[in-house]
Order: sequence, then structure tokens, then C-alpha cells
Amino acid sequence: MLKRLRMLVAIVAAMGTVWFAPQAPAQEQWGRDYFPNVVLRDHNGRELRFYDDIIRGKVVSINFIYTTCTELCPLDTAQLRRVQQVLGDRVGRDIHMYTISLNPTRDTPEQLRQFMRTYDVGPGWTFLTGSAADVQLLQRRLGLRPVDETNLREHDASIIMGNERTHQWIRRTAYENPNLLADLLGGRLFNYAGRGSQTRQTYAAAGEVTDRSHGYYLFRTRCQSCHTIGEGDRLGPDLAGVSRTRDPAWLTRWIREPDRMIAERDPTALALLARYRNLPMPNLSLNDAEANAIVDYLGRQDAEASSGRREGAGR
Amino acid sequence: MIGALLVAAPAFAQTSGFDIPTGAPRSPLFGAREWTQPVLLFEEFGLQAMPTGSCLTCQPLPQAQSCTAGPTGPALDTFLRQRLWPMPTEAANTTRGNYWAPRVGACVRPLATSAVEGRPPGVWFSHQRWNEFYPQAYFQTAMAGARVNNGLRDRWQRHGYTRGEFANGQLYYRGGTTRGIGVRFHPSFPIQQPNSVWTFDGTMPPKLLQARIGEPILFRHFNTLPVDPSANNGFGAHTITTHEHNGHNPAESDGFAGAFFFPGQFYDYHWPMQLAGRDSINTDASDPRAGRPDGAGGVTQVRGDWRETMSTHWFHDHMLDYTAQNVYKGNAAMMNYYSAVDRGREGFQCNYTNASNANLCLPSGSDLDWGNRDYDVNLLIADKAWNSAGQLFFNIFNTDGFLGDQVLVNWTWRPYLDVRARRYRFRILDGAVSRNFQLALVTGSGVRVPFHMVANDGNIMEHAVRFPNAQSQDLPEIAIAERYDIVVDFSRFAPGTRLYFVNLLEFTIGRGPKRTIPLADVLSGRYRGDPAVGKIMEFRVMPYDGVDQSMNPADYEEGGRVMIPRPEVPADVLQTAYRRDFEFTRSGGTDEEPWTIRTNGGNGLPTDLHRVSAAPETGRWEIWRLHSGGGWQHPVHIHFEEGRILTRDGLAPPLWERGARKDVFRVGDNPTGHASGELEVLIRFREFLGTFVEHCHNTQHEDNSMLLRWDARAPGQVVAIPTPVPEWEGVYYEPTYDLPQDGDDPNRP
Repeated sequence: MLKRLRMLVAIVAAMGTVWFAPQAPAQEQWGRDYFPNVVLRDHNGRELRFYDDIIRGKVVSINFIYTTCTELCPLDTAQLRRVQQVLGDRVGRDIHMYTISLNPTRDTPEQLRQFMRTYDVGPGWTFLTGSAADVQLLQRRLGLRPVDETNLREHDASIIMGNERTHQWIRRTAYENPNLLADLLGGRLFNYAGRGSQTRQTYAAAGEVTDRSHGYYLFRTRCQSCHTIGEGDRLGPDLAGVSRTRDPAWLTRWIREPDRMIAERDPTALALLARYRNLPMPNLSLNDAEANAIVDYLGRQDAEASSGRREGAGR
Repeated sequence: MIGALLVAAPAFAQTSGFDIPTGAPRSPLFGAREWTQPVLLFEEFGLQAMPTGSCLTCQPLPQAQSCTAGPTGPALDTFLRQRLWPMPTEAANTTRGNYWAPRVGACVRPLATSAVEGRPPGVWFSHQRWNEFYPQAYFQTAMAGARVNNGLRDRWQRHGYTRGEFANGQLYYRGGTTRGIGVRFHPSFPIQQPNSVWTFDGTMPPKLLQARIGEPILFRHFNTLPVDPSANNGFGAHTITTHEHNGHNPAESDGFAGAFFFPGQFYDYHWPMQLAGRDSINTDASDPRAGRPDGAGGVTQVRGDWRETMSTHWFHDHMLDYTAQNVYKGNAAMMNYYSAVDRGREGFQCNYTNASNANLCLPSGSDLDWGNRDYDVNLLIADKAWNSAGQLFFNIFNTDGFLGDQVLVNWTWRPYLDVRARRYRFRILDGAVSRNFQLALVTGSGVRVPFHMVANDGNIMEHAVRFPNAQSQDLPEIAIAERYDIVVDFSRFAPGTRLYFVNLLEFTIGRGPKRTIPLADVLSGRYRGDPAVGKIMEFRVMPYDGVDQSMNPADYEEGGRVMIPRPEVPADVLQTAYRRDFEFTRSGGTDEEPWTIRTNGGNGLPTDLHRVSAAPETGRWEIWRLHSGGGWQHPVHIHFEEGRILTRDGLAPPLWERGARKDVFRVGDNPTGHASGELEVLIRFREFLGTFVEHCHNTQHEDNSMLLRWDARAPGQVVAIPTPVPEWEGVYYEPTYDLPQDGDDPNRP
């Protein structure tokens, strides 16, 4: 396949215009003839063919990462971890999640396994690596502008979700609400044959304008994939009471530049790192005002919890 | 970059550097020759009077033939010929189940419950002001797979195939019926399979609604697409929602992207057809310019601001994630509004004979009291591609934008139109997915033909704008969903003369236009690149022995008569208007990041229909700044109300946007000089409330998250409309949340 591709590139370059054989009939448009059947290696070292073993006849999510990414990618993986949790044991049964490394040289199966442990990845979510050329080809065929090891930072953070049998493919981003992604995977791609996420809200409960504060908004979009307030640990600690247990200045800086505090070997930071599977809190490029807004929000939550009421941290 | 794209589409023929059609080989032409078929003229839906009482003989929607096909054509025709039944209701009709519940049960899963109407139930999506604007007329149609036209609507054509140029022996007469017309783009091409094209009734010609200001309409849209989503010949979703583009319609009838409905259901759209300002201006309906033709030579006066009169609209699918695919597949119709000022009848109480007459007498014909189409022709222009079997093709994996290599006019490939040697009005709509056009009108020898633009985005302007002019030789760039109404005078040409529309705007990839190709290079054949650049339509001048009684647009140029002035604004509106800022961008600033819209300088956000990004109060003037970085172009569409462009990059907008009311705003890359990196729009929302959207109308961008929800709220309203979540069983609601409004200050810099 790849050889043929290289040859074609050469021909295209040489001739400008080329004709090729007509494509398959319409119904087969997005099947075996479209998806490359390249061989990838999973986190256990098993070889899997992309079309036959990975997507054929399945509902899948596919995204591309590299394990050393320290900027927004950790949020992507954390979000997908939330999607996996929402979908529960359907992942691996009728929904299959795949994450493909863009950095095959570094991301060996062993490295992928370690990454999975850090993010507490559950069963049914497979991490894959393969040759640089094959991974590039997959990116292109899935509609992404390909990157390689020289421009990893520009990689496309999209999540491709599809049902190979019904030829439906939808592209979304990891910045989206994990519940929406779960609904897409678990519901829409099954011809709405089941709900991906939570139980339905009652009609009456749906009408109130929610907390409009900037802090709540930031918490929901930047923090909630790893943290809860009073609902237990996720990838990171439960933040109930955090406004009392941590010094506000420390907390604000920790939200702003956790990477630097870890590099400076801040003792609290290091303790947290050790307790949460060495998963570092990512630097989300928040500015002072944004960090303050989050700290204010957390403080309000704690105050309201002690007075017996708290805003819903729903969708 | 270009190399990468070529590698991305290895199995395909490409001219070097052009990914057209996007990721696919060139569309075969099956030996067809250009200018050998007449253009299909739009077929009218035909409005019926609202029935009353119950119907004892009415039958339910016919059953789907299988999981992968809708009802048979004859069964669907019989059903659509039947009167409206059950009667429409204020809140969604959930009293009986989906017509196809047993079929859905067999193909998907048994349904414990379901509803015949897919509109979200309860008060949130109830028809606003239902009794006040109770429908006076209705039409019904089904979104259905391609099939042969059996003449279902022959009897509902206003011209009846007996009037004017539609009568036997006249220009457009072809047997007086649409019976026998199949879905194919040229007689030499294969017929489209049922799942290649999905359109209204499933039939060609494309459909047109002729409606009147002030006559409320009920549009019942049935979904008869296959129950199995895989039965789509490679693209298109079987769930749909229908948006009347720029209608002054309440939100529940706006075609909200998240209020879609399923096969076997209908959705009742309620279009009140009211002039904006109805609640505050001309409230005694005393202004003779605010009104509709009454069918008998008079005008029924209505409330509202006559300066808000609208003319050329379209309605189309707005399905979340699938708008591009579904519109491309055929889910698009046009809609002409008729009014006291734009009556569609020339030579009758014309404004040019007496300035106190409302009727502008744009070219149309004079046989009917309103809505003559003899010399008033709708043209839907869109690029398409098809596979080796001739079946319509779409690349679902491309998200920069999809380009076809062949341009169809009214779904016909390189057609001709016979025209009389007189003035014509053309209502031009760019119905493409990602392609803008720039059309030159030339003679066979390549000489430019002058014409006037009279309406921009379907709204008649203050003054007609003559072309060529100092700012544009040809029809200016028209982006996806934009409409330009132009008047061309063919009387200067001898019968037998042939003229052409020539597309000059080059694309290489779907991100945005590349450049304007010089006309001479296109006509000489020197230019070889984008296959959609070139002649797209021919006009053949035929003798005219009638008397042209239409207005001369030259009389209405700047300095002359006024067509429709723009609504009045307070003198201090620039100081007092509420300001918002929307940046159409990528969230990370690089091309590889996902599409987002950044509101008021906040974070760039992808689509989440639960999120309300702006909540303007009704009645308040607002200035919305729309902008975008380079490398891309986004035709931004704001639902519900048109606005006026105050500035483009801080300067006055071009001639054809100065006296205009617009609903599509091109921002971003600007190779033609007709767009800009940023613009400011003055806008105001009135009469209706609810959940609307604003988005990029490069529908590939829209479907990839360049869409946001905004809600029109009454002053002081603190209840957010919950977010509908449709499923086979019915529509559920989830909570809505607002973006922080603290950065949303009046007069923000």
C-alpha cells in the first residue's frame, strides 16, 4: 500500500495530472477500499491490522497523541478517560476506544503501558503505535492534517468517532463535554439505540439559568475532567475543602504553573504527584484572573457546602 | 501542504495543486455536451388554505418499504395529496406514536413510546403567539429519496401551465407537467439512486415556496428517509431539522440544530410571516407600503415596519454535524416573499409612475395578481461531484471544506435558459457547501453585459447598484447562503444572441477562495486549474413582442429614487448599542486546532448546544463585531434577524453592502477585496424569543464546531430554555448553561 502510495506521489509530482481506476460503488465508499489495512502494534505488543482488526464492523473512537506532550494533550486524555467512565463496561464490548501515538520512536508498547497506568486507563481502550509512514497515512485518511515527529506540537486534537458498519463518521474535539462525546458514541452511532451517558433529566429540572460566573465556567471546562468537588477522586484529588486546606496564594500559583512548581520541587506538589500515579497537573495556560476566578469558585463551593447547599456541578 | 493533500487522495486524478473534487477523481460527463438541456425552473410547493374540522377518510403516512427505503413514490404522492391531518397543535403533537414505530421496532429496537411529531414537547417549543398568528395557509412535503416526479404539484402551480410564459406555446411550456422528470443532472447522465439524493418530495425540479407577508404559514415536514443510517450512499444523516434562512420566525420553528426529527415523524414549522417591528411600528397597519397583495388587485395592510420587507429566502437542513452533507444531498428549497412593495406583478400601480405607489414593479410578468415568475427566475448555484457510476459523491472525511468539480444550476449541468429580449430578475443563491462564486455575465464574444443588483441577501436595497462599477466589474463574490437579486436587460440583444454566466473565482482547497481569474484567461482557455471556473449557464435571447412594464433599475440608483430605505436607528446608536465580539478561529491558534468561536475575547469554544454564548434582550440595539484570522474565510450567518454592516476593517462597506440588510457576513481571507478580516454589524431582535444559532455557513466548518447557540430573551428573563435531546422515543431535555456574561458589558471596547 505504502509503496504504491510513494509511487503515486512520484507520478503526481512528475505529471501534474493523473487518472486512476474508478472507485468502488457508492455503498462501499468508506470500507475496505478506503481505510488502509496497515499493521499497528498495541500496548501489549500485539500486531493489529487497522481495517480488519481495529475498525471493521465496530463503533470506535480514534485519537492521536504522544506521551511526552505536556501542554493541552493531558486534558485530552483525561477527557477521554471521563468518556470511558461514563460509558462503563460498554467500552471493550460494543464501543472500542483507540489512541494512536504520533511518536512511534519514543512511544514503545512499554512506554504506552506506563502512560495508561498514569491515566488509569480501563479495559477496552487500546493504545497503538506503528511506523511513522503508516500513522501519517491514517491521519490523512481520517481527515486530519498529518504531523510527524518534527512537528508534534501542531498535532490535531480531534477525536474521530465512527461506526464502520453504517459508514457514519463524526469529528469532534477533546475540549467538548465528555457526556456529549459519550452520547455520540453510545447513542447516535448506534442509530440512537441507547443512551451513552446519564439518565434523562426531568423536564421540570431543566429550566434554571445556571451559575454564570467565570470560575464555574472554567472549572467545568478545565478542571472537571480530573477533579470533582465532593464526589471523590478522579485522576486528581477531590477538591472539596481545598480552599481551606491550601493557602490561597499557593493554590493560585498551582493552578497557573504546576509544571514550574514541580520543577522547583515544591514539597506539596511532589507529594501530590506521588499520590496520583505520577500524573502531573498540566499547565493549562490560565492567566492570573482566570486562576483567581477558579479559586473564588472553589471557595464559594466550600462555603456553601458548610452552609448546607451547593450549586450543581452537572453538565 | 499541497503535496500532503495529493498524498491524501492517492487514488484520484488531480490537476496539480487542486484538490477538486475534494479527495476524489473528476466527475465523468458520460459524453454530455454543454448547453444541450434547458435549466430546470423551480416547481412551486403550492400553499393550500388551512382546513377545518376533522378528516374521517385521511390515511396515515405510508409505511417504509424496508429498513433501507422509504415509502413507494405513488403511495407518498397519494398521501401528500391528502389534506393536512391531524390538525396542527400549539405544543408538539405527542398523542400518537411515530407512524413507522413497528418498522423502527424491527430495524432498530422496539419502542416503548414515541411521538408522531418530532418537535420537542411541552411549553419550551410550543408555537409562540399561536392564536395570534394562527396559520392561514399550509403546505406539506416529505424529505424523501430520489424518485421520478409524478406531477403531484402540477395543479398547485400558480401559473397553472396556462398563464404567461408557462402556457402552451410559450417559453417554458414543456407539456404542462413535471410528470416524468427524474433526478438526473443531464439527460446523458445516469438517474440518481434513491439514496444518492434526498430532497423535498424526492423529486425534481427543485422546490419553491411562494408566500406573502402577513399570511402565517404552517409547514408540515415529514421525514421519510431510511430508518437504517447506513442506507445513505456514503453521506447524509436520516435525522433532519429545517431552517428558514433569515425568516423572522420564532425559535421553535427556526430549525434549531438540536431539534431534529426522525424517519416516520413530522415537524410542524410555524412561520408567522410578520414584518419585524410589528409590536412597535405601524401598529395600526395604516401604512400602505406594509402589506401583501390580496389576490384581487388590492393590498391587505399589516402591522410592522415596511422597511423590514424581505424577498428572497431559502430553507434547508440544519442537522447537527450533518448540515453540509444533507444540504449537498438535496435538502434545500427556495422561498420568495411577496408584499406590497415586491408584488411580483409589473405594470400595476408602479412606484415609478407615482412615488406614492408601493409596488416597485421589479421584472416578473403581469398575468397574475402576484407572484408572476415569467421574468423572475430563481437560480440555485452549487458545485457537485459524482462517482464513476454518476452517483452524487461527498467526502465525509474532509473538514477544510468540500469542493465539487462541476457546477449545477437548479440541479442541471451546464443548462441554457431561453429569455425574452426584455428585463429579467434573477434571484441567485449560492447553495454550495464550501464554494463562493464570482459571476461575470458576458456575450458569446466575451463582452461584459451590464446589470443592476437590487437585493442583497434577499432584502431589497435602498438603491440599485449598477455593474460594472468602480468597485467591481462583475457580480461580487457571493458566499455560501448569500443571495443576490439582479436585473438584466436583454432587450439590447438581437434574438439568437447567446450570453453566459462565467464563474471567475478560483479555489484550490475548501478553506476559502484563492483569487479572481481574469475573464480573458477563462474565456480563451488559457486558464486551466479549478474545473469549476468557467461558463456555467447559457442564456438564449428570444424575440419579445410584449411591453416591458418593469421598473428600470437605473432610475433607482443612488441619487435617484429609493427602493426600500433601511429601518431608522437612534442617532446615538453607535454610542449606546450593546456590543459583543465573536472571533471565528481555531482554539489553539494553529491550523491543526479545532474550529471554535471565541465570544467576547473568552476561550475559543467548540459547539455545545447546551451552552448559551450570548443572550441578547429583545428590542435592544446591539453591535456584533465578527472577525477571523487569515488563511480562511467564513461566511458567518446570524439567525432570526438581518443586520447592517457598519464597517469592514474600519472602513465603509462596498457599494452593494451600503444600503443593504444582510444575514451572511464574509470574514477572513479576502483575495477578491469583497470580504474583510473584521466587520461590525448593527442588529436587533424583536417579536419572538428562544434558542437560535450563529455559525459559519461554510457548512463543513459549521459541522465541525463553528456554531454557537444564542438565546433571545425578554428583558429580565432568568429562565434558560432547556436543551432538547431527540431520540426515537421522544425528545428529552437537559439543562442549559450560560457563558459568563460578566465580560459582556455594554460599549465594551
